[in-house]
Amino acid sequence: MTIIAPIFIGFLFGFLLHKSGMTRYHKIVNVFRFTDMTVLKFMLSALVVGMIGIYFLVNTGLVPNMPITATHLVRNLLGGLLFGVGMAGAGVCAAPVAAGSGEGRLDYIIPGIGGMLAGALLFGLTYQAVYLQINKLTTEARLVIPDAIDVNAWLVIALFTAVTLLLFYILERAIKLRRNQLEA
Amino acid sequence: MNKFVAYLKSPEWSPYVAGAGLGVVTILALLLSNALLPAPQLLGASGAYENLVAPVGLALDPNNLYFKSIMPPGITWAVLSLVGVFLGGLVSARLSGTFKWRKLPDKQWTEIFGPSVAKRWIIVFLAAALLEYAAGIAGGCTSGLAISGGVVLAPASFIFIAGMFASGIVTALIIYRKKY
Repeated sequence: MTIIAPIFIGFLFGFLLHKSGMTRYHKIVNVFRFTDMTVLKFMLSALVVGMIGIYFLVNTGLVPNMPITATHLVRNLLGGLLFGVGMAGAGVCAAPVAAGSGEGRLDYIIPGIGGMLAGALLFGLTYQAVYLQINKLTTEARLVIPDAIDVNAWLVIALFTAVTLLLFYILERAIKLRRNQLEA
Repeated sequence: MNKFVAYLKSPEWSPYVAGAGLGVVTILALLLSNALLPAPQLLGASGAYENLVAPVGLALDPNNLYFKSIMPPGITWAVLSLVGVFLGGLVSARLSGTFKWRKLPDKQWTEIFGPSVAKRWIIVFLAAALLEYAAGIAGGCTSGLAISGGVVLAPASFIFIAGMFASGIVTALIIYRKKY
């Protein structure tokens, strides 16, 4: 089971990455040009459904705890800034490179996976000289937004869901308007 | 039933449907990893590349702290999951008939960068290396940090997403200039 379960999870993930178009250069790059918002729609839909399910499982005690990602302002922000350059530069991302390899993309199989491994190697080798130095700049905390601002988690989830649905509505309206303008 | 099969075969799904499906996958990941691992984990990709390259890291620097104790070599949950991602992409592409050996992406790339394969491959290599390094600094990639951190409402995720979009927009502006 410990072999089949992660392969199964990854399989569904890779399947959905391909179905949503995340294995294609233009789909990823165009979200940064505001000409195709698929990446944003895909991510926000996943967040809304995932947070409802995960908080439900933990609140009802069906699962004792959830893995909480460490928040470190400098590392998260700096990492995100560097990440976006790579993502918009070549239209690639860590998991989509693997999913896109399954689609026969040689630019993913060879330089894509090769680059990922090279980046991972460089990161590990410079871990003490770079990562630990940046990590010293501020403290790290494993916290979640509801605890940080002391409000009920379901209020945060409801608000996040409402804002996301409103954003989807505005996006679809804008897409329709643009299409009508092009036709006119 | 036929409708369902036809949907599985269609090359592109609504991003809302695929995204909601990914949300369900994070819930499944929590349930399965909680049952099978000492500590639960959600999605991830960048960590797997670190486990995979760790033997090389240790060969170059036998006392390396990171590859010795933090991300040691091994066929971890993350590595198996990445294998699954590859298989998922393969099966989806086969089902929808989009599988094709190719050296270059769609025409939008060639319109901007030209038809050179070498150019594409060098840029992909550099971009992949940069974003994997960045994921190490941040504490995860789009799946391991943005999605897995976001579904538990960790501030880390939203800080990362903000940074990613800010620099992504600037990068696209520089590359596309007048065509932006």
